[in-house]
Amino acid sequence: MKTLRTCLALSAALLVACTAADDGEKETIAFELPTAFPSTYEPMPSVATLITNAVIIDGTGEATSANSMLMTDGRITAIGTDLSPNGATVLDAGGRHVTPGIIDIHSHLGNYPTPSVNAHGDGNEVTSPITSEVSAEHGVWPQDPGFDEALQGGVTTLHILPGSANLFGGRGVTLRNAPSRTVQGMKFPNAPYTLKMACGENPKRVYGDRGGPGSRMGNIAGYRKNWIKAAEYKKKIEDGDEPTRDLQLETLAGVLNGDILIQMHCYRADEMAQIIDLSKEFGYQVTTFHHAVEAYKIGDLLAENGICAAMWADWYGFKMESYDGILENIPFVHAAGACAMIHSDDDKNIQRLNQEVAKAWANGNRAGLDISRDEAWTWLSTNPAKALGILDETGTLEVGKRADVVIWNGDPYSTFARPDQVYMDGALMFDRESGLKPQSDFRLGTELAR
Amino acid sequence: MKHFLLASAVSILTASSAFAQDMFLDDVALLAADGTNSVTDIQIRDGIITAMAQDLVAVDGSTVMAGVFVSPPLVTAVSTLGIVDIGAERDTNDTTANTDLASVSLRAADSFNPHEVHIANARRRGVLYGAIVPNPTGDTIFGGTGLVAVLDGSDASILDDTGLVHIALGEAGARRAGGSRAAAMAQLRGALDDVRRTFQTQGEGDVLRRRDARALRAVVAGRVPLMISASRASDLLAIIALKADYASLDIIVVGAEEAHLVADELASAGIKVIVDPHENLPDSFDSVNASLDNVMVIDEAGVDYAIVGLSSFRTIKAGGLAQHAGNAVGNGLPFEAAFQAITGTPARWFGIDLGDIEVGQPASLVVWDGNPLDAMSAPIAIYRNGEALSLESRMTALRDRYNPATDDDRPYKYR
Repeated sequence: MKTLRTCLALSAALLVACTAADDGEKETIAFELPTAFPSTYEPMPSVATLITNAVIIDGTGEATSANSMLMTDGRITAIGTDLSPNGATVLDAGGRHVTPGIIDIHSHLGNYPTPSVNAHGDGNEVTSPITSEVSAEHGVWPQDPGFDEALQGGVTTLHILPGSANLFGGRGVTLRNAPSRTVQGMKFPNAPYTLKMACGENPKRVYGDRGGPGSRMGNIAGYRKNWIKAAEYKKKIEDGDEPTRDLQLETLAGVLNGDILIQMHCYRADEMAQIIDLSKEFGYQVTTFHHAVEAYKIGDLLAENGICAAMWADWYGFKMESYDGILENIPFVHAAGACAMIHSDDDKNIQRLNQEVAKAWANGNRAGLDISRDEAWTWLSTNPAKALGILDETGTLEVGKRADVVIWNGDPYSTFARPDQVYMDGALMFDRESGLKPQSDFRLGTELAR
Repeated sequence: MKHFLLASAVSILTASSAFAQDMFLDDVALLAADGTNSVTDIQIRDGIITAMAQDLVAVDGSTVMAGVFVSPPLVTAVSTLGIVDIGAERDTNDTTANTDLASVSLRAADSFNPHEVHIANARRRGVLYGAIVPNPTGDTIFGGTGLVAVLDGSDASILDDTGLVHIALGEAGARRAGGSRAAAMAQLRGALDDVRRTFQTQGEGDVLRRRDARALRAVVAGRVPLMISASRASDLLAIIALKADYASLDIIVVGAEEAHLVADELASAGIKVIVDPHENLPDSFDSVNASLDNVMVIDEAGVDYAIVGLSSFRTIKAGGLAQHAGNAVGNGLPFEAAFQAITGTPARWFGIDLGDIEVGQPASLVVWDGNPLDAMSAPIAIYRNGEALSLESRMTALRDRYNPATDDDRPYKYR
């Protein structure tokens, strides 16, 4: 009876589920991550549309001979060669390229919005090195004009992360790049939460004279101390001990439980190797290393451990841990068999991630690799979707997935090419020719809007 | 005629001699510093262009490259190359100096290091010349005196140690000057008046000390460009008014995100402008009207402009110069105009001799494996005054050590 009572009491507060142990002697309660601030995202209205006469890069990494694709009720319902419309509106692509919508796994749009006034600095909770209790979504301003420009660049999904000042920076949130008055209206339905963690220079610089960590040693000790607390917290819940709800530990317990994906800012190869051992000590999985400027030095280690790396094409040198950047980082990681992808971390770069991939791809092949254009596309949508736990919903053009689609006015790897149309859930969100494009409230009343 | 927006298929055949000094470029898409283009073959012997015509036959022993693009080297009109190793490491960063002893007379040339690793990293992406610009800090709008350099890594890199003087107006200048644009303009006008003053002691200027007033003299006379960081249209109009008072000033505005609102006025005042075609967000209230159309509007208005990549990472992004011009083309700027804005125009402003791609001249050119304004392209050879320059850098050394395509199986540190 005690177990049942505990279970009901916790249900109200924590929404935990109960499971009875087999032997009947010791009953445990499975930790279940409470949810709040649910998504209210609704796709824009769409009409069934058949895109024909297209050159399709489908994001699977393999070349396809399909040249037509049907979008019905927001989903991809058929893809193949010379499909017939069966009543759908026909859009003749006229030989243009059609690709999945681009996914940026590392953005601060909304939590470091433009204009970059002091009042808009909502991306780093720089009050303690341990702030796993905060969530990026609570700092996202949906009127950031950067969302609109990213859409024009073909970005249909993006992941907003807290900054890298803290060892545990807080939860990240995956958003549809949909015009909305609220962040809830942008939240990707049922996408897993993530936890931003940070290696290296930033935490020790920020907290070095504020109680620490003041060194890389302190960084690792700080992670370990808190994983120990989280494991204890999780165990208390599982044992039915009814601990007071602790938001900080709840997020970490969610990681240990496999519900929350680790997105970790880490530049240096040797540090990433340390973090891999840390994750083994506490039994969790690092999903993605972000920035990972030295990932090319440990591509084999990333592949063995099933860890993705999200990288820039050519940013380096702005701080010591980014000094060893090379132009071939992404293709070298890919060639080692690991999951590689582009990321922006920037409100301008997010507008042309296709070019960033094009640079990296070209430089990899110049260095002697043989990576196809279809493989290279996986760095733009497929692998980011995988690393965000949403690959079954988007990231490739396959039947059953959300119809997140970009039609380009040229070769998408060309610097001169631009999206002509961007579809999200089958709805036309951007159209170059007609001028259809969302506009932030902030842009209203300016010379530009006239 | 080749279509210049298409990347070409490049083939490179190395001649029998491993030390081939000679190069034959077959079916070259040749770009001039004014952006115009033509198709030709080019023979280079001992660093000299010996023949340029269609349907030439290669001299025996030449390295043959087909389907390449050839252009003058690129020029970045703003950069911090050579004056900072790592931005976040203060001791390696000479881009700013907070001192009461000097402002205008702080010379970036005294800081410049031709062996800094970023220089080779920029060169291998086609950027061979640059204006190196120090930035203001503390309570002055003056960043100091910039230099003009060739990025060949030699100890003779400095072409002009007094290439420009940089100041900040707009929000950045206001912050330095005490909190308002009025304070920044007062500081600037006071400094310009100090140039006319006869100093008895070094500290008696309204704004400048004696040395700084002397350093500013060549700017007031128009012999040295005054580079002004400013963005908002109202600030650009204030600069135009300044030019009316000091007609000799050779003004180059950097940033100029709202230039499209006052394009005709800038053109008729003869004020030069440096823009980043990627800037389309209201980064601050200085650039509420930032737009991708900026560069197209000032081009049509006849403004004299250069293109760069501007951001807090100016040093490292110097290598991406061509991509910024390429994006202007993608947004509608004529190819010729975009190319000129990263070659001929900034070269003219700063007195840089790019050389001539003509028969009888020593080769001063970049050979590209595709259209230089497409980010997928890269240089495969760079010549200056007949000398082939290295395309190696610390980046390529790291690349070669960790290349998964290598068959070198020694431990990494022994490679």
